[in-house]
Amino acid sequence: MLFSEVYSAYFNAIAAIVREVQRGELTEKSILQIIGDKAFSESMLSILPAIKKEEWLVMNSELKTPIAHTPQMPLTILQKRWLSALLTDPRIALFDVDASGFAGTEPLFTHDDFVFFERYADGDPYTDEHYIAHFKIILTAMREQRRVHIKYRNRNNKMLHGQFIPYRLEYSAKDDKFRLETAGGRYGAYINLARIDECKLLAPYEPQALIPPRRRECRVAFSLLDERNALDRVMLHFSDCRKETRKLDERRYEVQLWYEAQDETEILIRILSFGQMIRVTAPDNFIGLIKQRLAMQRAVKQ
Amino acid sequence: MAYSELIKSFAGIRSYMRQFFAYGFRSRDEFDAKSARSYDNEKRRIESWLGEYMSFRQESSGKSVFLSVDSRRIPNNPLYKAWKAASFTKNDVSLHFILLDILADGNARTMSEILDSIDADYLSAFKAAEPFDESTLRKKLKEYAELGLITAEKQGKQYVYSLPSDRASLETWREAVSFFSEDDPMGVIGSYVLDKYEDASAPFFTFKHRYLLFALDSGIMLDLFTAIHSRERVELELVGGKNRKTRRSVTLPLKIYISVQGGRQYLAAYNYWKRGVGFYRLDSILKVKPLETVPDYEKYQEYLQDEQPHIWGVALGQKNIEHIEMILTIDPKDSHIVHRLEREKRCGTIAQIDDTAWRFTADVYDALELMPWLRTFIGRIASLTCSNKRVEEQFWSDLSALDALYGGDDDAV
Repeated sequence: MLFSEVYSAYFNAIAAIVREVQRGELTEKSILQIIGDKAFSESMLSILPAIKKEEWLVMNSELKTPIAHTPQMPLTILQKRWLSALLTDPRIALFDVDASGFAGTEPLFTHDDFVFFERYADGDPYTDEHYIAHFKIILTAMREQRRVHIKYRNRNNKMLHGQFIPYRLEYSAKDDKFRLETAGGRYGAYINLARIDECKLLAPYEPQALIPPRRRECRVAFSLLDERNALDRVMLHFSDCRKETRKLDERRYEVQLWYEAQDETEILIRILSFGQMIRVTAPDNFIGLIKQRLAMQRAVKQ
Repeated sequence: MAYSELIKSFAGIRSYMRQFFAYGFRSRDEFDAKSARSYDNEKRRIESWLGEYMSFRQESSGKSVFLSVDSRRIPNNPLYKAWKAASFTKNDVSLHFILLDILADGNARTMSEILDSIDADYLSAFKAAEPFDESTLRKKLKEYAELGLITAEKQGKQYVYSLPSDRASLETWREAVSFFSEDDPMGVIGSYVLDKYEDASAPFFTFKHRYLLFALDSGIMLDLFTAIHSRERVELELVGGKNRKTRRSVTLPLKIYISVQGGRQYLAAYNYWKRGVGFYRLDSILKVKPLETVPDYEKYQEYLQDEQPHIWGVALGQKNIEHIEMILTIDPKDSHIVHRLEREKRCGTIAQIDDTAWRFTADVYDALELMPWLRTFIGRIASLTCSNKRVEEQFWSDLSALDALYGGDDDAV
């Protein structure tokens, strides 16, 4: 069963509170802190009174517990089957996991149970030993807060190299690719993992050297005509982005969408894919990009 | 009944969260709630779980509430919080911690030994604790054995209970679970696993093109996997269409199709009434009722496999193959467009005609389904032809309409 109290935020919070009692460090303030971290914003209104009234036989009103061992829940069958299913995903080779505990556990699903039907065909080579080694070096660098030296080819196939602080590994389900976002510059620089030729682990960096890269956010506004189920399609298609929608009348909506500057061309073609159902109303430079494509189209057809 | 931020079943909240997250323009009066109070309660719950991601806007029709998140900027899917809001009784929570504590020393115990231990070692810590009756404990032990939290072994006439001996080590899994809990279609289970680590994981991963909303359909997807792996027919309870009426369909689940660009998930299943493969949106499935096992399951999987080379996305049209052909003008310096064609062509083929002309062709059941993708090449489409003339006409008339929206030739830049 997927929806069960054994996985609940409340049970997690109570387990953490009991651990704190066992360590002898519990105060009302730390209870609130734990509830805030593990549960929801209104949870203190339920958990604190329940403890004080001794409703749950886990901890009494004097904040003492009869629980003798550190609360630990074994993995459920569902969790084991999910972990076992990950072993059928080729990307598991990127991680050094100990699979020995899952021998004989039936996977919840297999990689073949899915069809990602809009996924690009040139995904990363997850079985390539160099690719795997580079991925693991970067992950180690992130874990141990170390710099890396990377030699890579840029999009124009020009060989570049340099020292970088790895910030995040970004995965795109559409591209089926990992990119390394690096810190240190004013804006983050991205390096496609599949374009790395060499990657070496360097010395640790000082924590203050890691300056999270800034992101250049842009906004596009468009009006949406709800014909041919366009409202549903547009709302779901752009649900990976921050957006705000207003209803103007029964068929027309106004949408504002935020995106990163580097993704402008991608957003442009995503908008174009909806044809005349979307009319971009701002900013002017974005409208200009669409007009440019339409002008190119008129020229190609002539 | 008094308000609680916890819920008994996920089904009710699923639709509200989708409305707030994907659409976000409806005011209280526009929700098809059973009552104003149920809208208020669900909104308050979602605020309690996801307050930091919620926004409000005053409209002439009332206040609209919406969830707005850039999925690229957050390491964890906030919608998983809803899956962690299951309600429980005081017996549930008390027995959970007491049982696992009693068995934590690794020794097996009978039910009466467990009851004795509860009375002697736990209830005495409380002022007015009522003893647990045998049937409550028996039910809980059975439930936990089914979940895999404890093992029940028959010794003579009675069962003895212990913690599972094959406790897999999670130490080496942290980063893998952190990644897959966000990317995997059943990632919510990974999020449950992550909760087992006492200290929070460092956010090493971010995700682009991630559809957080998929999390709401995880329960349905789990039921479908169970059916797929048990080779069972199911009765689906579906909702959809303009009138939002429910209907039922008996099908044999075969595969899950995930749109990584459209934000939708589908079940591919054999439909007994239509006698062929059909696709069902997961967000339209309300319930999955298992029926009987199908012995010749492979036969139906082969039906889908046979259809696959002619399915562009998830549409089968009238099952007549339609031939579509597009010629693109691509300057040799724009080789990235050729790369786009190569990686995005799916069941189609591409061929270079001359220095600047490339041909894309596909034979599919429903050429109309290619339309959004074809439009992404606006600016380079020299010709488009289709054996279904309606598709061809619609493409060009839509393009004219788009051109007119931006002023057409009169407003050329």
